[in-house]
Amino acid sequence: MATAKDLRTLGDREVVALAKAGKEAAYRELLNRYERPVFSLIYRMVRDRALAEDLAQETFIKVLNALDSYRPEFKFSSWIFKIANNAAIDQLRKRELNTLSLDGAPGARTAEEVEATALQAVDHTESPLAELESRELGSEIEQAIGKLRPEYRTAILLRHVEGRAYEEIAEVMDLPLGTVKTYIHRARLELREYLAHLRT
Amino acid sequence: MDKQLHASDLDFTVLRELTALRSFAPSRGFSDRVMARVSLPQPAAVVLIRRAGAWVMQPRRAVTLAVAYAASVVIALRLAVPWLTAHAPALKLGAAWVGTQVGTLCNSVALSAADWAVRSGAADAVRAVASSGKVWPAVAALAVGYAVGGYGFYALLKTPGRTDALVRA
Repeated sequence: MATAKDLRTLGDREVVALAKAGKEAAYRELLNRYERPVFSLIYRMVRDRALAEDLAQETFIKVLNALDSYRPEFKFSSWIFKIANNAAIDQLRKRELNTLSLDGAPGARTAEEVEATALQAVDHTESPLAELESRELGSEIEQAIGKLRPEYRTAILLRHVEGRAYEEIAEVMDLPLGTVKTYIHRARLELREYLAHLRT
Repeated sequence: MDKQLHASDLDFTVLRELTALRSFAPSRGFSDRVMARVSLPQPAAVVLIRRAGAWVMQPRRAVTLAVAYAASVVIALRLAVPWLTAHAPALKLGAAWVGTQVGTLCNSVALSAADWAVRSGAADAVRAVASSGKVWPAVAALAVGYAVGGYGFYALLKTPGRTDALVRA
């Protein structure tokens, strides 16, 4: 029977095999290994702590409940990051649609109608959670990352923050290797522009 | 030249800032919340017992079973018990007769088996195995049979390997 200490020395594949055999400790080990990277990726994508936590939770539930469909020829990390990234991208798309609907009802023609039907999205009081977020994501580099296109953001975060190989990022994003390299190059160019004033 | 130096300097700054980024942790209790919604694979026998329990515990079925149980108790007290007391001597006689018949049948089966063992030479074969030093192959054959039986139990009780769970990745 593998203890938690033994599990830490095993590779992802072995831990997944133990989890498939019904070992709860193996499930917890997978959670321990990936909760921070997955949460960080989603948080930096959606930039909302509570939402990121919900999405990370859904990601883990989906992955852990479907371990039997995991194919060992692929890296476990690619699989979990792929599901996390898809969850974040879906959320960003939904948010984009919601943002459009904030501009007032489609039938509104005059300025008064638009104003009357527009939703009040601005909350002037900053909640403790929002305060924490602005502290966590408030640095220059975090703000610059937030300005990138979502696909550039995923690519640059996986490459330079999570230290993933280009091939793995291509697998996660379902894109050709060349496209991933281009995304990372462009993301770096954009970050360079945003951070030009920080030059030492 | 200056422009190139400027660009590489900026690149260095970007990489330095990126690699210095910290990782964030979800709030406390995150893994417990996830584990509460994850279903661990269970041995087939446990799954069967749980399913049976869940089937029985469905409100309508539970009520039906409780009513049936209460009805059977009432029927037993009102009809079966008085009938049994009234017919006790006859029942005792009948039980004794059935006991004798079953005893006789067991006796004749045992005698037939012993007779077959002697006539067919099976008894001699066992005796020959014991005396000729072929005990170990016989024990090995028994052990193999035992192991096969054990594996049968294991196959029944082992965690099922589900393959029908699909994930939209």
